[in-house]
Amino acid sequence: MAQVRINIKPLGRTLHVEPGTPLRDVLYEYGVEFPCGGRGKCRSCRVRLLEGGLPATAEQEEILTPRMVAEGWRLACRCDAVQDVTLEIGQWEATVLTDSTPFDFAPRQGLGVAIDLGTTTLACQLLDLSTGHVLGVQTGLNPQAAYGADIMTRVEFGATAEGAGRLSSVIRAEILRLIRNLIAQAGLGAEPLRDVVIVGNTVMHHLFCGIDVTPLSHYPFEPVRDGLEILEPADLGWALQGNPAVRFLPCLGGFVGSDILAGVRAIRMEESERPIVLVDLGTNGEVVVGNRERILCASTAAGPAFEGARIRMGMQASTGAISDVGIAGGKAVCRILGGGSARGICGSGLVDAVAAGLRLGIIRPDGRIAGGDEWLLCDPVSLFQNDVRELQLAKGAIAAAIRLLLSNWSTRSAEIGRVFLAGAFGNYVNRSSARRIGLMDFQDETVTPAGNTALLGAKLALFDPAEDFQTSLSRIRHVPLAADPRFHEVFVESMSFPPTDG
Amino acid sequence: MPEMTELKEAILRGDAKTAVAATRTLLAEGIDPVELVTKQMIPAMDEVGRRFECQDYFVPELLLSARAMKSALELVRPLLIERGATPAGRVIIGTVKGDLHDIGKNLVASMLEGAGFEVVDLGVDVTPQKIISEIQAQGADLVALSALLTTTMPNMKTTIEELKKAGMREKVKVIIGGAPVTQQYADQIGADGFSDNANGAVSLARRLVGAS
Repeated sequence: MAQVRINIKPLGRTLHVEPGTPLRDVLYEYGVEFPCGGRGKCRSCRVRLLEGGLPATAEQEEILTPRMVAEGWRLACRCDAVQDVTLEIGQWEATVLTDSTPFDFAPRQGLGVAIDLGTTTLACQLLDLSTGHVLGVQTGLNPQAAYGADIMTRVEFGATAEGAGRLSSVIRAEILRLIRNLIAQAGLGAEPLRDVVIVGNTVMHHLFCGIDVTPLSHYPFEPVRDGLEILEPADLGWALQGNPAVRFLPCLGGFVGSDILAGVRAIRMEESERPIVLVDLGTNGEVVVGNRERILCASTAAGPAFEGARIRMGMQASTGAISDVGIAGGKAVCRILGGGSARGICGSGLVDAVAAGLRLGIIRPDGRIAGGDEWLLCDPVSLFQNDVRELQLAKGAIAAAIRLLLSNWSTRSAEIGRVFLAGAFGNYVNRSSARRIGLMDFQDETVTPAGNTALLGAKLALFDPAEDFQTSLSRIRHVPLAADPRFHEVFVESMSFPPTDG
Repeated sequence: MPEMTELKEAILRGDAKTAVAATRTLLAEGIDPVELVTKQMIPAMDEVGRRFECQDYFVPELLLSARAMKSALELVRPLLIERGATPAGRVIIGTVKGDLHDIGKNLVASMLEGAGFEVVDLGVDVTPQKIISEIQAQGADLVALSALLTTTMPNMKTTIEELKKAGMREKVKVIIGGAPVTQQYADQIGADGFSDNANGAVSLARRLVGAS
């Protein structure tokens, strides 16, 4: 069958996919976020049809209004690509002001760039500081990954004379490239770039700013200098029109960096009366608990299982990955990204598969696959005994961090008003599956996928005097979990699965 | 494991309460304490190790079993000392300086104890000096070092070098383990052995200390 063509504006990218491919699977790879998890509830993934056709359904009219649907708006999470289309991504046109959480901002002339500098991925947005409009988006991979995927390998190399310079120069060069792309793409050569705000974890902060990472290589993991860094483009070897101030926001303590500080600001934790929770699930899991009175944060090494790494048939959330596993007629039913044949399993699929296995009695609460070392999910993809063990380690680390922080804060999961899941995995993980495997025991209705809170917080910082972030910083206390004598015990306890759905 | 007893079963289930009760009963019945250890506790922990290796057991089960065995052993230990029974060997174990990871080291310590070794656990973030003082004070047959971070692993090498400087390297065997550690690294730094799992560490210790 002939493939269908999808043009994406304003990216200017064209791609070809099998007819019937869900738009969600296609657009996700291009950085479009699905805050409600693709359940057609939040309108955030709306796209505007510029050419071609996408069915207008009653469900979409109800969520988007008949008028918007008539104007060509659709929910990407509810549409399949059935014919050639040209789409405009609504998310990238949205102003900061019309974000679901309004905030004060003082308009000023010029352009600003907000950057989420992740260990693995980079996301940048160009903003018009006078209107708050997002003028462009660039995403990329962190080129430091060539020198080690996880943060400790990065630290190990960065602590050598050769490594320190190399890791700094590759990331500075890549970010400069993305900023130049943003400006070129927006076609606003004459407009001066005023401000660049970067957020990232402590290791990213150090390597970008050129600070020695050696103290981060061993206990007590205490950075020498982890505050707000204001750099001149010339310091970074950058030549940029407008000579913008480059700010790397301050770290919170240990490995917890300004991406989490930005997240705290983005979800407005400091304004909440009831304690709320922010969980960022990645190779390094971060947990924040707090309200307007006090805030505690911690990081925990969860390992890469949630990203599909160290899983025998694990893969990223792309075409061919089992992304959801449900139960029908007493059997597991898999959903495959892109709709073709299964090639592997991604993080959300792994959590779902284990939850389904527990519900079906195929996996026991102690994590043992009953009657074998392998469970065939969807030919040729199987879940293996060791995969379950890897998931037990990853979810045990996160669950233990949550339990200890809640206990340090003197609260319980039942008292938590809302739980925000940051990051791509947080967007896709099924909440009831997460509960079933004991990753977290919050009530499903309190758990909200929150998208890229780091980038949103960085955007807010563009309009914010730096002092506001300093005030937030003074309210947030970092809890070093590894030094907590209870941590190992709680971690081990949290490795097993809850015996029932509970 | 040919013959299942209440004590063995309790250790396998990780049921400390029953393990202690069963031990009390057996001791009251006049069982030889040495036999209790060698014919019941050690075989039970060997079976736990076997189950861990074939993935039937995971970290929580292994630690629960080790805890049950330890509780039972507490009752027997004074009697063993009274009879002058000698342990399989004396092991000093710890996670190297700069590293706080505990779980892998605890698993190995428990399995060694379950195999009849006398184990001195120096904990985490252990300096070479601390190990040297312990050897000076009480002596040791084996030093077992753990590291989970690539950045702290070099402290295994430092520890071995410090042992050499103190003139103690020939007196003890050194074994190493932990996520980033490999046989190649063990050879490179002159360790006597390496294992990537708790059960393997027991066989290694038995082989090196000559108590099979």
